[in-house]
Amino acid sequence: MSEPKPSRGMGGYFRAALACVATTLLTLPLHGVVDAANIVMIFLLVVALVAVWLGSGPAILAAFGGVALFDFFFVEPRFSMAVADAQYLITFAVMLVVALVIGQLAARLREKALLATRREDEMRALYDMAKLLSGAVAAEQVADIVRDFLGSRLEIEAVLYLPRDDDALTAIPARQGGDQHQAHVRAVYEQGQPMHLAAEESGFAPALALPLVSSVRTRGVLLVFSEHAERFCAAEKRPLLEAVASLTAIAVERLHYGEVVQEVTLGMESERLRTALLSAVSHDLRTPLTVLVGLADALTLARPSLPPPALESAIAIRDQALRLSGLVHNLLDMARLHTGKIVLNREWQPLEEVVGSSLKATAGVLAGREVHVELAPDLPPLEFDAVLLERVFCNLLENAAKYAPHGEILITAQVAGEVVEVAVVDAGPGLPPDGEESVFDLFERGRHSGAGGGLGLAICRAIVEVHAGRIRAERRAEGGTRMIFTLPLGTPPVLEEEAGE
Amino acid sequence: MNDDRPLILVVEDEPQIRRFVRAALEDEGRVVEAGSAAEALEAFTGPGPALAIIDLGLPDRDGVELIRELRTWTMLPLLVLSARSAEAEKVAALDAGADDYLTKPFGVQEMRARVRALLRRQKVGAGDTVIEFGNIRVDRAHRSVTRDGVAIHLTPIEYRLLGVLLAKAGRVLTHRQLLMDVWGPGHAERGHYLRIYIGHLRQKLEADPARPRFLLTETGIGYRFQLEEPAA
Repeated sequence: MSEPKPSRGMGGYFRAALACVATTLLTLPLHGVVDAANIVMIFLLVVALVAVWLGSGPAILAAFGGVALFDFFFVEPRFSMAVADAQYLITFAVMLVVALVIGQLAARLREKALLATRREDEMRALYDMAKLLSGAVAAEQVADIVRDFLGSRLEIEAVLYLPRDDDALTAIPARQGGDQHQAHVRAVYEQGQPMHLAAEESGFAPALALPLVSSVRTRGVLLVFSEHAERFCAAEKRPLLEAVASLTAIAVERLHYGEVVQEVTLGMESERLRTALLSAVSHDLRTPLTVLVGLADALTLARPSLPPPALESAIAIRDQALRLSGLVHNLLDMARLHTGKIVLNREWQPLEEVVGSSLKATAGVLAGREVHVELAPDLPPLEFDAVLLERVFCNLLENAAKYAPHGEILITAQVAGEVVEVAVVDAGPGLPPDGEESVFDLFERGRHSGAGGGLGLAICRAIVEVHAGRIRAERRAEGGTRMIFTLPLGTPPVLEEEAGE
Repeated sequence: MNDDRPLILVVEDEPQIRRFVRAALEDEGRVVEAGSAAEALEAFTGPGPALAIIDLGLPDRDGVELIRELRTWTMLPLLVLSARSAEAEKVAALDAGADDYLTKPFGVQEMRARVRALLRRQKVGAGDTVIEFGNIRVDRAHRSVTRDGVAIHLTPIEYRLLGVLLAKAGRVLTHRQLLMDVWGPGHAERGHYLRIYIGHLRQKLEADPARPRFLLTETGIGYRFQLEEPAA
């Protein structure tokens, strides 16, 4: 792909001068045979030809040279620059102006033609590259295609920087050493503006960093570099480089969306599996547990009554089966909360109601315990999922009953700034030191052994957090634990006043 | 065999669950078992059952659909068996016409109490003009509510809500059913109204509104007005 370069060097001028001399030699024999005006025409023709072939500079030289040679060889007195007949001055002036104008016009035409050819050539090359890029299935392939193109067209090298999952930019192909340019590449990536790097800035050669801007966002950076900075710095190279960058951006974006589609497909598949598994597990476990609880419960109520040891066993079987059932439910709840696919059924409602239903649900565990409820009278309705919040209260109450076997349990709630602060307080042995945060971690347990406490608190945290609240545990100075969670206040809907009492 | 005892239909695909339900309900009536919706419908060909216990996870048909079909021609009490964390399913069953539900796993006494309450309601109905619970007396003929003989003022909506709850005492009423009955169609999405008014009623009728004895919350489902069990 050698391109006809405009002869800017001295060669063009030399050839223009040569053309003038040759014209003079060839037309000398015509002196006296044809009119001087026709000789002028021949010189103008040569200027036009020089302009077409050699460009505008040589054409100017040819114009002046032609006028001078015409004067010297054809105008009386011949072989002198002197002019006998003053009217030849008009001939010279017209000849010079016409030669210059023709020369410039012809040269411009030539340049436009050259430019058009070059553009067409570029377009074809870009099109070929785009075709190759559209078939690329990996970032490495994209980088190879871009590097081949820039290497063959502009004789420059290139590296592609693409963000990984953690948003760090990785070079493709990987580069050894010279990390100084990383910060600049990062800046280009973040700001989306191209940047020139001097050799000492890049660490290896003058370079130009171009952002890969797609319709949505910057997809990476194309770094081109060469020892010969003019190969990419020249203004006329910019459109080509920018076109390459934008084609690369499209290819990278296409790859990215391809990956997204694949991930989503995979995610949907595993989500479907997980849901099917969860419902199968919950059904398969529930049925035998229901039978177990029912049969054991029937035994405890059998008449005539079972002998005391057997009765105790039946009661124990029933209670343990119920506990196992609670555990299974906690596990399933946790699985659902952890997949993040839980749908909140949030409604505005008074906190008092869910406290009441939780106390009713845990009446068995709390049997014989003193539970005080102190809800601030000015407590506004809150927006929450009642079923999930009941789980929080039940888990906290069960926890209090289990780890603080004696003393009263207190439930309080009051407005604290932008949130409502709810606390379940017990008078038990309290948390181990430094346990305030870790109690909410999955499978963490307090000092006392007992199954399931950790899971229950982990569920509490997950539920409170999906409600945009926070949960924490505090050791009470006077002994015992205070479990505190918050719920955002928000703006409850306005209730229409009841008309006509 | 005492033929006076009411017939109880148990529709459940798990034989072991049917077995213990049958054992638990021996004292309450004669138990007929059905393992599928088709068998359940067949059980109605002879002398009709007085009550049906229906598991919502049937092999041949959606339990909610079966309830909807039964409700087109019979008003017998329907008790639904369902899993916890399946509130939507329970609400659908109740809206379709079921009267009450039990969450698996459940105890024998709990089930007996529910069955007894449903059968009793069938016998007496709730047509008394005067209803008493705790220290509260509601005289529906005179539209008066008193606590220990002292009149309590209820707003019209509060009174209507109490009336609807009392008329279906012992049964679970979904949020939707209550909103429709008290506020009328077009208000089904205004759950917070209902909750606020229930709160008002509890303030006026319950000794400890945070721990109601009568106006019970069925979390995620609705409310139940629990009249005290008459001393057996």
